[in-house]
This record gives sequence, C-alpha cells and structure tokens, in this order.
Amino acid sequence: MDTVIYNPKPSYFMYSNVNQQGNDQAVDMRNNNQPPASQASTSHSSESAGDPCGPGKWAARLLRDCAKALSEKDSSRIHHLLWMLNELASAYGDCEQKLASHFSQALFCKATEMGELCFNTLSSVAERSRSFESARKMILKFQEVSPWTTFGHVASNGAILEALDGESKLHIIDISNTFCTQWPTLLEALATRNDETPRLKLTVVTTVSMERSVMKEIRQRMEKFARLMGVPFEFHVVSELYRLAELTKEELGVQDDEAVAVNCIGALRRINVKDRDAVVHMLHTLGPKVVTVVEEEADFTSSMDDFVKCFDECLRFYALFFEMLEESFLPTSNERLMLERECSRSILSVLACDEGDGGSCSTEESERRERGRQWCDRLKEAFSPVGFSDDVVDDVRALLKRYRAGWSLVLPQGDDDSGLYLTWKEEPVVWASAWKP
Amino acid sequence: MLEKMAGEAISGAFNQETVVGSNPPVVKKKRNLPGNPDPEAEVIALSPKTLMATNRFLCEICGKGFQRDQNLQLHRRGHNLPWKLRQRTSKEPKKRVYVCPEKTCVHHHPSRALGDLTGIKKHFCRKHGEKKWKCEKCSKRYAVQSDWKAHSKTCGTREYRCDCGTLFSRRDSFITHRAFCEALAEETARVTAAYKMNNANAGNISYPFMGTSLRSNMVQHFSSVFKPIPSSNGAMDQTRPGLSLWMDQESQTNQAMSNNLTELHQMGSSSIGTVYADPFSNPPHTDYQVNWAFGNKLSSTNAGELTSTTPPLTNLKEVGSPRLASAPSLYSTQHYHHQLPPAIMSATALLQKAAEIGATSTNPSFLESYGLKCNNNQIQDGNKYNDLFSPSLIPTNLGSDLDNSVRDLTTLNHLQMYPRKRPKTLNDDAEEGQTRDFLGVGVQTICPSSINGWI
Repeated sequence: MDTVIYNPKPSYFMYSNVNQQGNDQAVDMRNNNQPPASQASTSHSSESAGDPCGPGKWAARLLRDCAKALSEKDSSRIHHLLWMLNELASAYGDCEQKLASHFSQALFCKATEMGELCFNTLSSVAERSRSFESARKMILKFQEVSPWTTFGHVASNGAILEALDGESKLHIIDISNTFCTQWPTLLEALATRNDETPRLKLTVVTTVSMERSVMKEIRQRMEKFARLMGVPFEFHVVSELYRLAELTKEELGVQDDEAVAVNCIGALRRINVKDRDAVVHMLHTLGPKVVTVVEEEADFTSSMDDFVKCFDECLRFYALFFEMLEESFLPTSNERLMLERECSRSILSVLACDEGDGGSCSTEESERRERGRQWCDRLKEAFSPVGFSDDVVDDVRALLKRYRAGWSLVLPQGDDDSGLYLTWKEEPVVWASAWKP
Repeated sequence: MLEKMAGEAISGAFNQETVVGSNPPVVKKKRNLPGNPDPEAEVIALSPKTLMATNRFLCEICGKGFQRDQNLQLHRRGHNLPWKLRQRTSKEPKKRVYVCPEKTCVHHHPSRALGDLTGIKKHFCRKHGEKKWKCEKCSKRYAVQSDWKAHSKTCGTREYRCDCGTLFSRRDSFITHRAFCEALAEETARVTAAYKMNNANAGNISYPFMGTSLRSNMVQHFSSVFKPIPSSNGAMDQTRPGLSLWMDQESQTNQAMSNNLTELHQMGSSSIGTVYADPFSNPPHTDYQVNWAFGNKLSSTNAGELTSTTPPLTNLKEVGSPRLASAPSLYSTQHYHHQLPPAIMSATALLQKAAEIGATSTNPSFLESYGLKCNNNQIQDGNKYNDLFSPSLIPTNLGSDLDNSVRDLTTLNHLQMYPRKRPKTLNDDAEEGQTRDFLGVGVQTICPSSINGWI
C-alpha cells in the first residue's frame, strides 16, 4: 500500500486541487454521465454495463468506484472520490447518505491505514456510552419492529426444546449477541410444559467488555424472571469469547448428568477465521444434544484477500440491512442510530482492519461473516444437521406474520444446505440451523 | 382451590363399576366437576373408541345416529310416535358420570369422574389426544375443535400489559419485555418493605403514579403533599400500596419541588384527587407491593396486588368539598390545609405552574391500571405467572365509569390542556424529572398510546 495518501486532517480534502474537476465529476456522477477523465471512464463504462444499482443508488456507485481505486492504488482518484463522498454523506440522512458515510469512513481508514486506531476509538466511545438500559432498549425495539433476531430465537428455541424434551437438567451454553433476549420465551415454554419443569443452567460466553457493562443486569433480570416463571435457574458468565476454541468442559461448567445445548447466534462470525474449525471441534467435545447456529447471510470471508470483492459483498449486505432498518423503524429512532453505529464499527473492522497477528480489532469485534452454506461445510466436520420440525417452522411462520410485510421464510434447497432462511424482499438475510453430534 | 376429602360418601356409591380406591382427596371446582360427583350416580367407563364415537345415540325407529341425547329426542318427535312410546323407554333416573379411559389420568378414578359426556370427551381429547387443530396466527395447538375456534376468535386481539404500563399486542414481545422490565418491580418491593410508618404524617405521601416512565426522582416531586384520607371503602384495606415507596422517596425529596407541587396539588385535590381512586386509604403497610412503575420501581411478583383497590370512582362525584370524606382521595385535603400555604390560585394558573415544573404524561394507563387492577381483588403470589401473563383486557366498564366521573368534574377540562410530554423511553434519566405529568391525567384517552411497546 502506498504511504499515507492524505494528511489526516479535515483539510485533507484538498479543496483547491480537486475543486474544478471534482465539481464536474460530482455533477456528472449525479447525472450518470460519462465523466471526462480518462481514468474514470474505464471504470465507469464497466460499471454502467453491469450496474446493479438503480439510478438513485449513487452511494453504491461512488463507493465501489472508490474501492476499486483503492485496490488499484490510484491515489488521486481515491482522493477525489472520497472528497465527493464526504460532501454527500451523512450519518443522519437517508439510506444512501448513511451508507456513503459509514463506508467512506472505512475506505478512508483503509487508505490511511488508520483502521485499527479508528476502530479502537469508536469502540471505546461506544463502550463508554453503552449501558444496560441503552442496550436493552435497542435490542428490544429492534425485536419489536423486525424479525431479524427473533427469527433465530424462535427457531433455536424450538429446536432446543424439542431436542431436550424430557430431560430434567438442562444446560444451555449461550454464545450470542442478543443480550439473552432469547431466553424469556424459552423459560416460559419450559414452565408451561405439562410435565415437570426442568432445571435450567445458562452459561453465557461473552467478551470482557460486555461482562463489565451489561451482564450484571442481565443476570439479575434473568434470575428474577426465572423465579417468576418457577423454573429452577442458574446463570453463569464466562467472559472468554476470545479464546473460545480453547475452552474446556470444565471451564464451561458442563456436568455429566446435564443435557447440553449450545446456542450460537451471531457468534461464530466473531471468531477469527483461522480458529473457526477449532471452535466447531471444541463444541463437539461438550457433547451437546443440539447446537443451534444462526448467522447472517453474507460472505466476507472467502474474499478476504480480494478487497474489491469483499467490499462489494459488504456493501450489498449492509445496503440491505440499512434499508431494512429504514423501513422497520420510525424515522427518528435512537435505537436505529445505535444499530447503525454498530454496523459502522463492524464495517470498519471488516474493511479496514487486518485480521491476523497484531490486529487488535480482530480479537473481539471482527465480524467476518460467512454464508449458511459455508457454515454448513464447517459444521459438517463434527455435526450432522437436524431439520426443524414442522411445528417449529409453523411457529416461525406465525412469528413472521406478526411483522410487517416483506419477510418470509425459505426452506433450503439442495442437499448441501440445511436450516431455514429468513428473507427480506426475497433476499436471504438470516440463516438458522440446528445440529447434532 | 379447596380440597375436601370425599370420604365415605363416594366409596359407598361406586360399587357398580371399576375400582373404588381409598378416599382420594377431591378438588372442589365447579358444581358438577370431578370433585363432587353425585355419590348416587352411575359410573360409566367407556373405551376410547366408544367415547370418541360421534353417534352414540341411535334412533330406534330409523337407526339414525346423533351425538347428543337431546338431538335424538328432537329427532324422535318427528316420527310422530304414539304418546306412550314417546316416553323414553329406558329413562335414566340416575345421573351418569364418566371416567376417563386413560389409566394414568386423574379422572380415571370413579371418585374423580366427570359428569358430562361432552365434558369427558373434551377432556380426553385435550389431555390425551393428538392436537390436530392449530391456530394460524400464533401456531398454538388444540385437540378440541371448539377450543381452537374459541382461541382463534381472540388470538391477536388480546393485549398484554406490563406492570410498567406498556401495552403489547404480541405475547412474545410482552414476555421478553417483562423479563427485562423485572428489576423495576423488585426494587420497588424492596423499597416498600423497608419503609417505616413514621413517615405517614405531614404530607409525606406522594402522588401515586401509574405512569410508565416514572422514576424515583419523579416521585420526589410530589412528595410532601398528599396524605390519603382513610377511606370508608373497605376494599381499599386490602391494598396498602407502597406509600412506603413514596415515602421512602420522600426522604430524598427536593423541598423546593414540593412547594411547587403543593400548590398544584391544591388544585389537584379538588379535581384530580377525586378522579382517581385512592389506593392508599390507610397508612401504608410495609408488605404492600407497589405494582406500578415508578420509573425503576416495579413489583414483579405482585402483579395483581395493586389492582386490589376497587376504584371508588363512583364516589368521586362527591368531590368538591375539601373534606373528601367519602371519596377516597389521594390528597389529604385536611392535611394540606394544615401544611401548605393556602395559596389561592386559579386552575389555569396552577396549570401554568405545573407546566413549569413540567410534566411527562403519566399514562392514562394510570387510570386503566386502577381499573384493570380492580379486577383482581386478590393478592397474587409470585409464581402465578399465568396471571401475570394473562392479557389484561381493558375493562370497558371501568372506562365508562371513569368517563362519567371525569365529565362531572369540569376542572378536569383544564387538565386536558395540561402539557403532556410523553417520555420516549421507559426509563428516563434523572434529568427528565423536571417534566413529569404527575397528575397522570391522560384523561383524553383512556387507553395508553403505545401499542407496540415503547411509550
């Protein structure tokens, strides 16, 4: 990569230099005309040929262009595209502006190799302002307006309840990113079963920062709620997500007479790519009766070395996500802003941080997603898929009915695929699956 | 549920069929339910096949089968039988009771037989049958078609209310919310329990809110003014709402605020106090679990407790005089007469003053809460989660009562102009304490505004 392209100060957008050209470009870009610059024309022509974006999707075009320029190390072009993006972007505007804002930030950091620094700054800011209350509000509101997370919850709970049916001592190992909002409904289901209410031990594997900020409250609420439900309950926290592959049965408190279920919602993607197979293996050693995995349908992993490809995929996924947020939430929703900020950090870590030794943002927050099919391949090393029963599928369908239109359920096609897909406007977005050893 | 030993009465009767166990305890529920089958009744044990057969009653003339005896009789009339034959040939003088054919079932035993054939059929299906009927909306399953139909009618129309006042149309989001809302209740309970009675004097009672977003510091605002007048309404005695909670807040009260509030309360007492039932008829007991949300204070396990105040809304009409004797009132008018500067302010002036203090609306849910709660005139134990999750249907009758009382009080019109800033979030921070609608006068709408969760 080139040496630092800009002086990282606001004035780095050297106004005077690119002014004229930039203005022309801006106008041209907007009007979707061929720009005069020769360099640009090549990329533009190729772009307009297979342009997946509609006329209103200026952000995607600009961003893709910029990513391409980055990979080609075309510094002047990078410069001027980033300048344009900076002009047009806004984290508080419409979808396009938001995408432009978050992605151009990532591009900028990538160009200036400031990715990790920026990420750490954002993370610490977030951590400071994060509280149980804000996290709770955010997640509950999100679940209220969108089935993005509840889809996985309902499917997983259904699979867990069926797999552990009849057991009297349950132990669920929860490695999720949904702040335990999955468990109240499970507790209620356990309590309303006709037969004996089993004991439930819940071990949550999380990061150190999470434990510090929210786990205490979550523990209180869960314990209280379980008492309310009349379910004998224990809650444990293991704050060692970063070394998940190395955890042992003892460290997780798994006892021999317990029926174990492992629940991973948005979890496996937070593991370093190189450790993922080890983690799968580790999960197998716990001897669970069922492992539920829920992930988002996006692939940032196989294209790790190809920046443009990775960028494209990232853009595609987050464009969908932001659009979904826009259509689900009220326009002036704090919760939505919080979610978007989290996305912003995630985008930054995927695009601008190096995963590998020394990359500090690779420990906890890197979220290199993989598609369901890819996870299937990994999980098949140690587990075999369990289909969701008709009842669970019906439950999920009923769940989706309670939300706005646009969501639907797709069963997997083909043999090498299993699980359920949640689709938003026909695009698969979330994948839920269940596995047994 | 009461349990009675059936004893000798039963063992004597069931010598016709099947086993007669030692005297099992019977449960008294309704009139004809298993608890007390008629000792003289004949016990019938049908096989599952016979039980589920649809046409057990056959017409002897044409052989047509009917599900019910009454239907058969109706049919027989159509055959124009001579009078003699009209009588049922084998009229059963004895009452019949049926046992469940499922051996492991409680109702298999003659002493727990069910008196109704339809009843035993339904029971058998429900408990031991396959659940063939499924609700489309929530995918809940039923074995008995009539159950399923009944459920489908109401599914999705119910609303669930959390103690904090938020209303939900979906059960799952209600449950999740409630789990995370819990801590509020617990804190409240602790506070209430810790309260000491000696705070019961001199306007230490704060105005009880039913707002969703009330926080403890909000309570502070309204601290010193109100003292409940001992209510003549006996029902009130059941609930000692956590005035203790309020009083506990008391100790942290900002005196400056309370002065403002007292003035406001003065107005309130003549009108508002009359609107709302006063659950605090007597100095609070420590064991009362305040059920509403005071910001972070909610009673989790006693969802129903607050409710046990029957709203003496009907008494509200007697408002007017400072001495709200018969109308349980939140304000001790006597009290504040002693204590407060007799500032005579017009209602509008008071409103303006209150506007300065600010308000966020306590929800109309406050009103509803009273109403709703009144339906459960009992203290519920912590683990009756059924009650907690049973949807709180807003009783329409309460609404009308409220309306009536409200209309009676013209001053309430002023209150409707009262600026209401709804807190956007469940738990606002302390800074927001300045702006609360302590009056909780959401009289414009009886129903809370938020259906989808957050206020």
